[in-house]
Amino acid sequence: MLPPLLLSLRVLLFAVPLLVLLGGGIGWLLARADFPGKGFVSLLVQLPLILPPSVMGFYMLFLIAGNPLLKSLGILFSFPALVLAATVSALPIMIQSARAAFASVDRELEDAARTLGKRERTIFRTVTLPLARRTLLVGLALSAARALGDFGVSLMIAGNIPGRTQTLPLYIYNRVETLDFAGAHAASLLLVGTGFASLYLVRRLEEGRNERRAAC
Amino acid sequence: MLHAEFTDSLGDFSLHVNLELCSETGVLFGRSGSGKSMTLRTLAGLRAPSSGEIRLDGRTLFSSSSRVDLPPRERKIGLLFQNLALFPHMTALENVAYALPPGRSRSEAARWLARMRIEGFEDRLPARLSGGQRQRVALARALAAEPKLLLLDEPFSALDGPLRRSLRRELREIRTETGIPILYVTHQIEDLCSLGDRVFVIRDGQTAESFPVERLWEKGARGEAWSALGWGNLFRGRITPCGEDCACRFEGERVSLSLDGGAHTPGESLVFVAPDKIRLLYPDLPIDPDLGGNLFSAVVEETTPLGGSIRLYLASEDGVLWQAEHPSESYQSLRLRPGSKVRFAVPPAAIESWSGGLQ
Repeated sequence: MLPPLLLSLRVLLFAVPLLVLLGGGIGWLLARADFPGKGFVSLLVQLPLILPPSVMGFYMLFLIAGNPLLKSLGILFSFPALVLAATVSALPIMIQSARAAFASVDRELEDAARTLGKRERTIFRTVTLPLARRTLLVGLALSAARALGDFGVSLMIAGNIPGRTQTLPLYIYNRVETLDFAGAHAASLLLVGTGFASLYLVRRLEEGRNERRAAC
Repeated sequence: MLHAEFTDSLGDFSLHVNLELCSETGVLFGRSGSGKSMTLRTLAGLRAPSSGEIRLDGRTLFSSSSRVDLPPRERKIGLLFQNLALFPHMTALENVAYALPPGRSRSEAARWLARMRIEGFEDRLPARLSGGQRQRVALARALAAEPKLLLLDEPFSALDGPLRRSLRRELREIRTETGIPILYVTHQIEDLCSLGDRVFVIRDGQTAESFPVERLWEKGARGEAWSALGWGNLFRGRITPCGEDCACRFEGERVSLSLDGGAHTPGESLVFVAPDKIRLLYPDLPIDPDLGGNLFSAVVEETTPLGGSIRLYLASEDGVLWQAEHPSESYQSLRLRPGSKVRFAVPPAAIESWSGGLQ
């Protein structure tokens, strides 16, 4: 069980920064920027949430395999494909949270900071980010849990190669196929534990936010 | 010195502003929706006007002809927002320290808080401060940035009487100490009279008139100045001497009033009644004989709460729309709503008249 666990954690190690950057960035754009086709983009980025993972994975497989440049990168059926699969399936959750987080920050506070002589970068760091932080962390906890548990997309574009692309959820599937229920139980329990832990963290974060609000 | 002349539009609302403000307190006076806040945001650089020019102490902040548009951070204009915009995640001290120009020590922020009389609350988050304390922190923060012009967007409108008065006093002192010109936006006549040196009247997005506040108290100019503010009841007509019980009568087109003796000159004239002088009558109480014969029945057209008082538009039976202002507490006991019938009196002693300047 150890190699799949370590592999899953390694995937998370790469997926989380991607989720922060991409999810946070797109969420910010959707909350704050005005651009043509914004409505369409916001629908598009939510698509992975409702599409069956096999469909999502199938299209990605098709897209990468059909593009000579992407194909030559050797992404498919390797570690980068796992990171890609985990990121894509968890991204909608992060985008949604980031969008809500940035939209909740009162624009007038940023305007106040502007009249107090601050630069945009400083304002983002000292006003916007601290005020959006809790909701961002909630989104990150939820999307990281989703990334850790990805099965369908990973299976489609990274395969299920023991020792190379077999993450914990894929390992469970294999254990069940070989009727090793004890191994499946152990791995499943681990994921249930992680799920609980991240939900608990989310609740703590949300409680903290509500307390802060109640104090206002 | 501030010089601003610009035009802007938002949807079908258009704004044309023309202001000259020296080292004094200017009051931008107008009803809600007349473009006051938009003007302040434009001056602060949070909105770019479509054309025009804004200069402060010889520096060009905005000029459509020479394509200058300084960002807010370079304008050195402080803006006190209507809802104060204190950073909720910072303590009072951190809020003020945030505004200090680079290189200043935090003790300076503490000094500003002390100057605004809020020592002992440095470590509180804004949520744990009272309304008045929050105003003071916001004012301290705006001043800590060392602005060359301070804009205030009805910051005291949510406060009750005594607090407003003490903050206005504070603001006057600060003006004298620092010499920073202040532009204060309000729709409340009280603020205007107690704070302003100069009034800029803004009506439907146009800065219509500007005059020194004392003009409001000058005999002979008062009513016109008041009516320029869109505040008060002004009638044109003829004053005729009459019987012994009342010295004179005023006969207007639709309004006739009994006047006090003495101060009125017979002939063509204007009379003015300040809205806060109009007395609403309680249906079950006897009428004070001093109110004279100026009794009217009317229907409430509109009510506008203004903090401690409420503004009423009263349509009298003869088709005149009167403005009255009434303290909020006693207003509530009258239970008036648009459509309610009401009786009111115009005390003769409250009527001012003048004939100067009438053609």
